Amino acid sequence: MATEYALRMGDGKRVFLTKEKIMAEIEAGTANAADLGEIPTLSANEMDKLAEILTMPGKAVSVEQGMEIPVTHDIGTIRLDGDQGNSGVGIPSSRLVGCMMHERAFGADTMELGHIDYSFKPVKPVVSNECQAMEVCQQNMIIPLFYGAMPNMGLYYTPDGPFENPGDLMKLFKIDKAKESMEHAAEHLTRDTVWVMQKLFASGADGVNFDTTGAAGDGDMYGTLYAIQALRKEFPDMYIEAGMAGEMVLGMHGELEYDEVRLAGLWPHEQAPLIAKAGANVFGPVCNTNTSKTSAWNLARAVTFIKAAVEASPIPCHVNMGMGVGGIPMLETPPIDAVTRASKAMVEIAGVDGI
Amino acid sequence: MADTEGLLLEIADAVISCKKEKVIETVGKAKLKLPPEEIIEKGLSSGMNQVGTLFERGKLFLPHVMMAADAMTAGVKLLEEDLPAGTQEKKLGVIVNGTVEGDVHDIGKSIVSTMLQSSGFEVYDLGRDVPTRNFVEKAKEVNADMIGISALMTTTLQGQREVIELLKEEGLRGKVKVMVGGAPATQSWADKIGADCYAENASEAVAKAKELLL
Repeated sequence: MATEYALRMGDGKRVFLTKEKIMAEIEAGTANAADLGEIPTLSANEMDKLAEILTMPGKAVSVEQGMEIPVTHDIGTIRLDGDQGNSGVGIPSSRLVGCMMHERAFGADTMELGHIDYSFKPVKPVVSNECQAMEVCQQNMIIPLFYGAMPNMGLYYTPDGPFENPGDLMKLFKIDKAKESMEHAAEHLTRDTVWVMQKLFASGADGVNFDTTGAAGDGDMYGTLYAIQALRKEFPDMYIEAGMAGEMVLGMHGELEYDEVRLAGLWPHEQAPLIAKAGANVFGPVCNTNTSKTSAWNLARAVTFIKAAVEASPIPCHVNMGMGVGGIPMLETPPIDAVTRASKAMVEIAGVDGI
Repeated sequence: MADTEGLLLEIADAVISCKKEKVIETVGKAKLKLPPEEIIEKGLSSGMNQVGTLFERGKLFLPHVMMAADAMTAGVKLLEEDLPAGTQEKKLGVIVNGTVEGDVHDIGKSIVSTMLQSSGFEVYDLGRDVPTRNFVEKAKEVNADMIGISALMTTTLQGQREVIELLKEEGLRGKVKVMVGGAPATQSWADKIGADCYAENASEAVAKAKELLL
């Protein structure tokens, strides 16, 4: 009987596969990414390396010495103090304590301050509070501390915002009105983000992290790219990181462009040059995990997409790794065997600059 | 034969390119040579299925999906009088869709609603943050064949189970199918709570709804 190796399904379930089956899954996963993104598949050597990582006997694995990379954190301190719906563990702690724990106990190379709502729009009425928190944290910390939030353009649509919900308009076949609504929302997103970050930068923020860019589709990415452009112009030395919401920019509008490139339907390797052009310092590519496929399939697919993004990107790529992205299963606390294997593969095969 | 096959291809292409006038013109020609059911299945629906695939691949976008659906509807309308009695304007099924209570995520669920509607289902989208009882009440009101329940957070995922439990309490579970979706939902979760299916994305939602309801 052939040796079987313990892997995971995309939903975290244990699965035992032979080496042959693992190779077949890797080939299918990389082929899927190559087909969708019109990018090269992994080479035979890279596929062998991936199989080797997946079948390593240890529960946790790590990168080879000398290949360590910086680790950046998002969602602020919510993973510690959040206790309802934000992947937090409910430890009562201030944001200052949370930031310092990341710096001094967890070994974070950079950290960010974030509000519990974690979107730019709701920060507007509490921006003074955020500025004060930023100043206090900066006075107590050494590592670069950014301000992080999601562009979250959905908050500009009814019932949360002033513009009609394009989803509702589309269903009524009011396509032009839906597009207008998205364009207005994108303008407001740019304006609000720039305003919030002007205040935070004045309070000592070392940078900004745009987390889950494009969550509301191409309009969301459009608004974010213009916000990055405006911030870069005003603050030439600021550190700007832009991470994506998903692997492909959803075409909710379909015609929005940046630098004469249509935003809808862009894959990670096509997103990277635009994020760089807008003025960001770091790009956070995403590849989604398919919960019905094996970790071999998912990881091969993710590494193929991210490798192409790294190659196409003029700026460093810090890949998004966590629940349901980067070849990691969709579990709130992802299993360490899957997380460490996916991380090792991203560094050693995809060549990412950070996580 | 080649002539009629060519016509069906032309209809499908016109749907994919969202050319409503072209759809009307080619369906007009086809109805002289082919039965209406074949024109719908192999021409109009075939085109619409390809639109769904192209949307998932990032080659076509939501406005195109809507325009293609509009073109397809115009084509079906033209064939209505030739359809057998009782089949005119017949929808593939009635589906109530919504995001569970406490969860304000809307976009993915809206795309699923749009794709189901475009594929010929009668869809009632209740929006987001929908109280459990509203799913069941709406299903009763519109005599729904299926309820689609979305959740984007692990903490709100339980809402999907609550809708299923309420359906059981109301004695409707045998009559109404349940589809679940959203980022933290998985096939094993669907199995665990007794849903009829789980869909990974909008195209899969359409395929699984057809599988269960047709």
